[in-house]
Amino acid sequence: MIIRHQLCKAARPRLSEPVQSYISTSRDPYLNLSIEHHLLQKSPPESAILFLYVNRPSIIIGRNQNPWLEVDLSLTTYCQGLLSPKSGIFWHIDLVRRRSGGGTVFHDEGNVNWTVICPSAEFTRDKHAEMVVRALRGCGVERSRVNERHDIVLDQGERKANSDPEDTHATPYTDVSAFAARPLKVSGSAYKLSRGRALHHGTALLSSPNLKFISQCLRSPAKPYITARGVESVSSPVTNINLTNERFITAIQSQFSAMYGSTQAIQVDEDLLSIPDIETGYDELQSSEWTYNQTPQFTLSNSSESTRLVNIDLTARHGVITEASITPLAETPAETPLADTPMLELSALNERFTGMTLLDLSNWAGGRLSSPQDALYMEDEVVHVVEWLQKMLPMVRGSL
Amino acid sequence: MSGVYAGRALKQSISSVARCSRPQYLRLRAQRPAFKPMVRSFTASTRISEKKYTEDHEWIELSSDGKTGTIGISTYAAAALGDVVFVELPTLDLTVAKGDSMGAVESVKSASDIMTPVSGKIVEANSVLEDTPGTINKSPEGDGWLAKIELSDVKELEGLLDGEGYRKFTEEAEGH
Repeated sequence: MIIRHQLCKAARPRLSEPVQSYISTSRDPYLNLSIEHHLLQKSPPESAILFLYVNRPSIIIGRNQNPWLEVDLSLTTYCQGLLSPKSGIFWHIDLVRRRSGGGTVFHDEGNVNWTVICPSAEFTRDKHAEMVVRALRGCGVERSRVNERHDIVLDQGERKANSDPEDTHATPYTDVSAFAARPLKVSGSAYKLSRGRALHHGTALLSSPNLKFISQCLRSPAKPYITARGVESVSSPVTNINLTNERFITAIQSQFSAMYGSTQAIQVDEDLLSIPDIETGYDELQSSEWTYNQTPQFTLSNSSESTRLVNIDLTARHGVITEASITPLAETPAETPLADTPMLELSALNERFTGMTLLDLSNWAGGRLSSPQDALYMEDEVVHVVEWLQKMLPMVRGSL
Repeated sequence: MSGVYAGRALKQSISSVARCSRPQYLRLRAQRPAFKPMVRSFTASTRISEKKYTEDHEWIELSSDGKTGTIGISTYAAAALGDVVFVELPTLDLTVAKGDSMGAVESVKSASDIMTPVSGKIVEANSVLEDTPGTINKSPEGDGWLAKIELSDVKELEGLLDGEGYRKFTEEAEGH
């Protein structure tokens, strides 16, 4: 018991230190993001912190993004064939809304996430991406550089004149001509700024077996029909760096120490859920209020679809439908119900949908379709609406 | 607004005026003297309705009723953040304590918390920013205001920086 107690204590963040380094042994994206947020909120104003973690397969959307627009949510539930380099095949991907800005990224065990927290007065958007490039070059990845979007890419051009090895924004392979092979992205950056503190985190695609799957997952069937406020992702071709997680982790830790002073990395894990702030953040990140209802206002409309049988226009704010307009293309005579049970008519949908959450709507649509009994009591046009909504707003496992 | 990472980035952009394009130059030049008229109007007798600033780069100006204040982010902060693409406004009737997060803005992949300079109740949010978040960059201390707050204690304003104090603060932050 005593030994266990000491271990727990040692695994707690040493928040008072001026330079801190942590590595998580948990693969839980909600936990790792909550630990990260705790470090941002509770560390002293002048401290510098490195935090490294690896997540199980998950899609991480930016704070002000729309999951229906960014992600093929049906694939997050039915992802047969998604590979995990260490533990075989995965059957489920977590959808996570993070607290920082920026676009959507995919995590798996072939990707190491790095976070640096420092005073905002000493911060630039490139500073720590440059740190990561120095680490990569130390591992022999000489094509790596920081690009104009503060991401890290591997240049794909022919080797040309030598560049300044200290310049983290150019390599001998940098080719800006129009016909050059496009650099491939290996790390994406995002930031969170709060109370004089700056958090910069990024991915590092080292050896993901799921690159093909990533692009499928990040292609939403609803994209042509959604008009959204907020932030849309900029998609970029990606590749693996081809390094082991261990080698990358060691290189990052030593570059961080070179910048801020040497420090021993502390291992953290699920035990940190005993810290109330982390537990609260953990619960919040998993709630559908945060993941779905935080979505900026958007409209879903089928007006661009030539094969539509009905006009569908929905506006949702904070995940709740504020306006619904479902109208027939042309007047059709009312169908006669088969039995005494009242037929669900198209004209009833507006009232039914208004005030509904999008999650309730997708569950409702999914439920209707899975019950043949229900289908008998819906007008054909209603079936059309339900099928379309089911395609655009698929049911999401884990949020029911 | 806490996230002014970019004290340095702004300094860089101003010192690189010679190299930037003409529209960029004009924009930067337009931003620079924004503090000056305020400094000139600063007189020995401090009026309570004078615009005040926080070290987190928010401003607040008391309206003539002496009870409601308009809150926004400073010209310095708006330039440092870059193009604002989304604003999360506070909800009406939200009660906040001084220093609480009352909203957030996103620019260049960065989500930045906005902290309220005073305690009180949010009575209005600038809905213009929902459709045109870039208004914050165009007019951070005018049309780009974020919210109006009914102050619970007007005396809280006394603890904030005046225009001159804020100018000095940002200069020090840049290491002048």
